[in-house]
Amino acid sequence: MKKKPTLGIYGFTGCAGCQLSLLDCEDELIDLFSAADIKVFYEAMSNNDDEALVDIALVEGSINTNKQLDELKEIREKAKVLVAFGSCANHGCVQAMALGDGKWEQRFKQVYGDAKFTVAIPREAQPIHKFVKVDAFIPGCPPSKIQMLRAITQLLFGNKPTYTNSPVCLECKFRENECLLNDGKLCLGPLTMGGCTAPCPTHNTPCIGCWGIIEEANHIAELKLLKEKGFKTEEIIRRFRMFGGSEIVEKIEKLLEVAK
Amino acid sequence: MKKIIEVKHLARVEGDGGIYVEIENDQVKKVQMNIFEGPRLIEALAIGKLPEEVISFTPRICAICTVSHKNVAIRSIERALKYKEDKKTYFARELMHLGEIIESHSLHVFALALPDYLGYPNVIAMVDKYEDVVKQALNLKKFGNKVMQILNGKYIHGENATAGGFGKFPTEKELLEIKKEAEELLPFSIAATDIVGVLELPDYLEEETVFICCNPADNKFGFWGDELIFSNGKVIPSKKYKENLIERTVPHSFAKRSLYKGKPFTVGALARLNCIGDRLKKEAGKKYKKYKNPRWLKNPLFNNLAQTIEMIYCLERIPELVDILLKLPTPEFEKPAKKRGRGVGTVEAPRGLLVHDYSFEDGYVTNANIITPTAYNLDDIEKYFKNSAFNLNKAGKNEDEIAFELEKIVRAYDPCISCATHLVKVVKK
Repeated sequence: MKKKPTLGIYGFTGCAGCQLSLLDCEDELIDLFSAADIKVFYEAMSNNDDEALVDIALVEGSINTNKQLDELKEIREKAKVLVAFGSCANHGCVQAMALGDGKWEQRFKQVYGDAKFTVAIPREAQPIHKFVKVDAFIPGCPPSKIQMLRAITQLLFGNKPTYTNSPVCLECKFRENECLLNDGKLCLGPLTMGGCTAPCPTHNTPCIGCWGIIEEANHIAELKLLKEKGFKTEEIIRRFRMFGGSEIVEKIEKLLEVAK
Repeated sequence: MKKIIEVKHLARVEGDGGIYVEIENDQVKKVQMNIFEGPRLIEALAIGKLPEEVISFTPRICAICTVSHKNVAIRSIERALKYKEDKKTYFARELMHLGEIIESHSLHVFALALPDYLGYPNVIAMVDKYEDVVKQALNLKKFGNKVMQILNGKYIHGENATAGGFGKFPTEKELLEIKKEAEELLPFSIAATDIVGVLELPDYLEEETVFICCNPADNKFGFWGDELIFSNGKVIPSKKYKENLIERTVPHSFAKRSLYKGKPFTVGALARLNCIGDRLKKEAGKKYKKYKNPRWLKNPLFNNLAQTIEMIYCLERIPELVDILLKLPTPEFEKPAKKRGRGVGTVEAPRGLLVHDYSFEDGYVTNANIITPTAYNLDDIEKYFKNSAFNLNKAGKNEDEIAFELEKIVRAYDPCISCATHLVKVVKK
């Protein structure tokens, strides 16, 4: 019998929802554990082998301390294929919503005052691709069950995982929802990576962009549209940034220029 | 002689934490529950945001407690900005909350804690011998997720519930399905209490402590209220949490600590049963009476048993809630009556008391304070580490044996380290 592929699941800073989504595959969990030789999965097991070389590393969370950065580099060395697993690892998620505004130290002080820490040296949240080569990614906040299981299956067979390369807006149309933008709601569906099957607009609540920005996103068109609907520039940019992480930072200047 | 007990990376807990204990000449010199999880500064990021933004992103503090964070953010905001709370909305929020309690408790009891007691590294390894229990436990967990998915749109980080109401209420068909499944799962949940109830728990850590939880209105059992109740019977308004539960920072953790009258305390399922368990009725009440004993006041390892009793409560309450919801008309969305004010929300997350406290000016957040159950528990966890390390060392146990017992304590508390790292004193713009 062919040797089972080895798998490591590692978590950095975030809500641990991507790892939890794996545990939430109640019907598939037993199969998953038997299809792969799981070397590291701290959230679920106590017999972890930190030194193991792994075929696939799923890395959840953003990098928020120097200790995490060192560990990430070690994982990179041990893994054949390193996968950014979920929004925090991919873009930084909500903890990166103010990335690059130069006020991180001020916020740290607001929260912790002058307290000194020996446990690790904290730093501003960054997605993992800022520090190491990332071979593949699984989007989502958290990833949807179907997409995640498909991606992991593809990885276990030595293939690159595929993802939904269309916006939430398209999946929302498939579900025959009325457009919330027409209703005057600030919906980010046209800009956001799909694959979630648009649960939020299907519940009459706007897309908040939690899976991150899709490649074809036209922020300028959405900004103009939302301004026409009466939203203030400041509020629109704030929403773009909430889950936009490191990717939106590059677009901000241009957007502010257009908004004038 | 010096012994150092170190667990660098705790397993079967949520988030990144470790244990460090030093014993010298039979005295415990140092006890630390280290929290390595990096700070996210969520409260500082809440400043300058609108209510709906806060309700969308603060639940990202934690995936296991996402619904608790959502409900408590809503409570704080609706109190601050004077929303009316419609009845149907209220009960739908309660239903959603019970889904989370079931999901989180079943994950914790069966997948994270029980392997310790039965001698397995993880829950899947238990399948060979305990296939039926594992499968039914996973069914229970799946049901909890299903309730959250139907009520909140997704089982992790849904957006359907917000201030003023729900985007969409569940249909009659969905509600009846929930009711039927709850009734079907109840017998397993009752049996599960006895699986956990017969486990022999060690007494080397025992010491009385103070337990605290929300005090639901009308002398009922439940998972929220605007008062806090203590195991000594004392009751205070939630608004006064800050004056009573005093916070500080420590160098070995990005999570803050809290003391009540200079002493550590415990929150969570065992706290709820110790403070308001006598309000339980039906099968949950029977199991409470069967197992309640004075050791509950001094041994946190009973938390897992308390969680199984709460699961019975949830499964018995859900059909009642469905019947209530089916009779109520679907309301219009409520609007805020004010644009400024402060509101303190307190709910019971699966792991215990969770506080969100927001102030608003002109509709935007000017102040935010979030305190999570794990942060409240950290000082007591260290207290029980100290007792255990002292007594186990005296009994001649080696470092590895002591470490394993300390890990058990951590897992009994079911810490949520993602949550713990996001607490703060008052943040001012």
